[in-house]
Amino acid sequence: MGEVVLYMSMSVDGFIAGPDDSPEHGLGVGGELLHGWLADGGVDPASHRPADDAGAAVFDEVLATGAVVTGRRTFEFAGGWAGDHHNGVPIFVLTRAAPPEPPPGSARYVTDIASGVAEAKAAAGDRDVLLHGAATAQECLRAGLLDALQLTVVPVLLGRGRRLFADLPHVELELVGAVDGPDVQHLRYRVEG
Amino acid sequence: MTIRLDMTMSVDGYVVGPDDSVDAPMGEGGFRLFNWLDRRNDPGPSGQVVGESMATRAVISGRRTFEHAGQWNGDHHDGVPIFILTHEVPSEPPPGSARYVTDARDAAAQARAAAGDADVLAMGAGAARALLRVGELDEMELHVVPVLLGRGRPLFDDLPRVDLELVRRLTTGDEVEPAQRVMHLRYRVRR
Repeated sequence: MGEVVLYMSMSVDGFIAGPDDSPEHGLGVGGELLHGWLADGGVDPASHRPADDAGAAVFDEVLATGAVVTGRRTFEFAGGWAGDHHNGVPIFVLTRAAPPEPPPGSARYVTDIASGVAEAKAAAGDRDVLLHGAATAQECLRAGLLDALQLTVVPVLLGRGRRLFADLPHVELELVGAVDGPDVQHLRYRVEG
Repeated sequence: MTIRLDMTMSVDGYVVGPDDSVDAPMGEGGFRLFNWLDRRNDPGPSGQVVGESMATRAVISGRRTFEHAGQWNGDHHDGVPIFILTHEVPSEPPPGSARYVTDARDAAAQARAAAGDADVLAMGAGAARALLRVGELDEMELHVVPVLLGRGRPLFDDLPRVDLELVRRLTTGDEVEPAQRVMHLRYRVRR
């Protein structure tokens, strides 16, 4: 069975988006900086593969996952990835209330985090499950569903914005990997227990 | 010459756990953050960074940190001057080599002058924010402990944007037991 791994870029002060984020401006004011380690690209996530080895290694791990679990907000801000995050793997979009209109492509709405993650793990088989989005990460941490965090830490204090972590239980971690990229650190923590 | 913030924080950015009070200055579970200091006298990354902090020749601290540390009995290390940032100067003078300062720029100037060629140690979330807001913080040594405290007092909050550069990353090795592991990240403040 693969692991459920959170992949997120955050500032040293813990923000994953600057202030005033919106569907038109998903990363908020100044937040683009957090994705500066990725290559410029389009809606297709694969078009953002970084040129450096450290960044590319993290990126390739993301694209080797067998299912995606994401929050509704992240999904919509990303234009729903046009229904295909990578290789057509199933995308489970966590939402409080599923809209009547089904989501595009390989995406489907789920309203319960535990069953959504269970379905994603079953679909991914031996491969890992990619978790994306702050709210979904927090839900998974509260429910004990997260196995690892892969954080790309960008050397900036954004000052204000949307925090990755908020209102969680105490969770012990183990640092299992730390790789320097050009001006960012890729840190991998295993969730204990 | 360099004013360097020295702070221990969780991966989720807290320096104190939830529900802190005078009786529980580190909040619920907050003392978990200080386990790494058990290695402060040993060779290795944690001994090295503590040694560097103790080689500073002046201290700037927030009032809250100062009070919660029992005012260090007036001597943080080697009798170096301690500048306590406070909104309101109490009528009672602080003990030992400590003195109260109400202005962050003023505290920075006095501490730099006192330290001469040596560095200045800055401590406390309040002092960190005050120094960052007036552009007087040069570096940050963040001891990042592999834990999510979940709730508590964040180190950074409601600041202007500040660009940083990582200048050093020291991580404890496998010989250190899990509860004492930590990553020491040194950032330079870009101006």
